[in-house]
Amino acid sequence: MTSASSAKRIGGNNNNERSNREGLKGWLNPIKYGWERVSYWFQRLTGIFLLVYFIGHVYETSSLVNGPDAWAAMLEMTQTIGGHLFLILVIGASTFHSVNGIRLIFTHSGQGLGKPGRPDYPYDPASINNRQRSGLWIAFVLTAVAMLYGANVLFSGGE
Amino acid sequence: MVQMFFLVEESESQKMTAANIENNSKKKSNKNNRLSRITILRESQIMKIHYITGVGALFVVAVHIMMRLIMPYNMSLEYENVILNYKNIFYSLLLESILVLIAIHGFNGLRIILLELRQNEIWEKGVNILVILGLIGVIAYGTRTIIIANGLSMG
Repeated sequence: MTSASSAKRIGGNNNNERSNREGLKGWLNPIKYGWERVSYWFQRLTGIFLLVYFIGHVYETSSLVNGPDAWAAMLEMTQTIGGHLFLILVIGASTFHSVNGIRLIFTHSGQGLGKPGRPDYPYDPASINNRQRSGLWIAFVLTAVAMLYGANVLFSGGE
Repeated sequence: MVQMFFLVEESESQKMTAANIENNSKKKSNKNNRLSRITILRESQIMKIHYITGVGALFVVAVHIMMRLIMPYNMSLEYENVILNYKNIFYSLLLESILVLIAIHGFNGLRIILLELRQNEIWEKGVNILVILGLIGVIAYGTRTIIIANGLSMG
């Protein structure tokens, strides 16, 4: 069997691309996959959000080289309620990304995955266990705590 | 006897040719390996770099945020105070390390996400080139700010 016909057999075209590819829709679909899937796309969404913020922050701080007026004008944009709320989102995103990232480093190195076992009904994978779940919940709780602390500092002026 | 001599010689020459072909192919594959080693890092190595830059960034960003919180937040953002921070060589180095670590981690993360969404040679090469250009651009722009702010006068 040629590679082209085998590609057709699995429902794809001649470029070996599957026609049933879900793309971004499949990536964002949390149904049937549980909290692990939510953490999967939260990790990616927070990552993209933080990269955009990082590029914006590098641009924002570059106003420093144009003197005190340019710096004050740029700072004024962030010293609003909207600016503060945006920064609280940044704090939440960075906390979740960091804590969940540490969990993922451990998971990728094989820690906390449990022992492999025979696949018996109802086929619960050993890797999705309480240790993994608790890591997820710790990430969510720490995110909430960091956002509350950030809100307190930003809205009280840190005094 | 003469026949036997020819047979031996023939097998010797066959051996020589086979050895030559093997040598040539070994040389070729060595060249290819060397080239691939120069141009491309293995994904496992890139992932290690991703984790190391992530953990590194966590520590340096923590110091960066603490510098904003050692005095009232609004006061720490005043122009004179920020310039003073930039004039401190250790703080400038810390900012540069934040810039490099987060740029590598962030752009590689973006590369991983984009390669997960689609896989073909053109897409992968395009993503790699764009990510490297973005990485270099952000590091260059941020470094420019650090260098200029470090040399600015307070007046």
